Amino acid sequence: MSILKDLFHYDGNGWWRIPKTSEAQANPVYEHPFGKFIGVFKGFLSYITSGKGHATPTYYWVIAMILGIITLIEVWWFGVEGLRYLLVPSMLFFSIVKFILVVAFFMHLRFDHKLYSTVFVTCMVIGVIMFSLFLLLSAFHGLGN
Amino acid sequence: MSNQGVTVHHGEEINNSTGVSNKKLLMWVFLGSDVMFFGTFIGTFMAYRNKSLNGPYPADTLDIPITSISTFVLLMSSLGIVLALHYLKESKMGLAKFWLFLVIIMGMIFIGFQVYEFSHFAHIGMTPQANLFGSTFFTLTSLHGAHVSIGILWLIFLLYNEYKGNLTSENAVDLEMAGLYWHFVDIVWIVIFALLYLITAGDGVPPGGLPWTAGH
Repeated sequence: MSILKDLFHYDGNGWWRIPKTSEAQANPVYEHPFGKFIGVFKGFLSYITSGKGHATPTYYWVIAMILGIITLIEVWWFGVEGLRYLLVPSMLFFSIVKFILVVAFFMHLRFDHKLYSTVFVTCMVIGVIMFSLFLLLSAFHGLGN
Repeated sequence: MSNQGVTVHHGEEINNSTGVSNKKLLMWVFLGSDVMFFGTFIGTFMAYRNKSLNGPYPADTLDIPITSISTFVLLMSSLGIVLALHYLKESKMGLAKFWLFLVIIMGMIFIGFQVYEFSHFAHIGMTPQANLFGSTFFTLTSLHGAHVSIGILWLIFLLYNEYKGNLTSENAVDLEMAGLYWHFVDIVWIVIFALLYLITAGDGVPPGGLPWTAGH
């Protein structure tokens, strides 16, 4: 059972047992059962960004495909009666993921100067705080009466 | 005048202490302000959710399959604009024009869906005057539609300039600005689609009567 072996054994130890090192020694590379997948994913990212951190058309197509698939999942989720009790958190989760994908990759914030991210995220945080306060206000005091 | 410290990035001179393009920074500031603008309207919609005193309710009106198609079209238009920008930067003008044209068409399709949706709603009695749901729904989606329409006009202007030879890889930053705006319109719709459509679509008569007046 390779998965079990990966999960519970790593070089004779559980993968979470990172060996202690002295101050002088470099920290060991963090090994975990998902290492292989992350390696493959990193390789893929490197391939579609030509290894330079600049996006290629393939890269954009991949992001668009992911966005399309998430939208399909959202619509499917909405149609399943048994999953209705999880509708609100799931839809919030999916929309946040889509939001981040578009902002980070299509809008290039991942590659651009940090100042742009700072400006946008600051406004986002203010917006979300206002939004939450408004909802809390309406929940506890009601609106319009 | 000395040119010291001046860098050129995609045709735009960067000669300030921040080291970033003024145009792009201004656009991000604008988008940040627009986030708060839309946040207010989305917050209002959610605060008034399930508080309509009379129908039609979301369950009677919203058509998820139709809106899913328009959502998909808008998402793909975002892909189109990054590809248009990519090819413009590489001076592949034919491909850049093709994708920009396609984005404009997709934007128009989205607006077409919205016009169809609004006229259908009006036909079944769901107007901005009908109830709280109608007021908040139309205010938010119309504002978003106005943003998309402005974006389409902007892109048409850029496509015209591209054909005239005024938009090249040298000033690709102009298309980048429009692209940022277009993606922003897209992310706002991502949130609207989740909150106004998917989460709200099942709402009928509020459970337990009318919570707005209950207990008062």
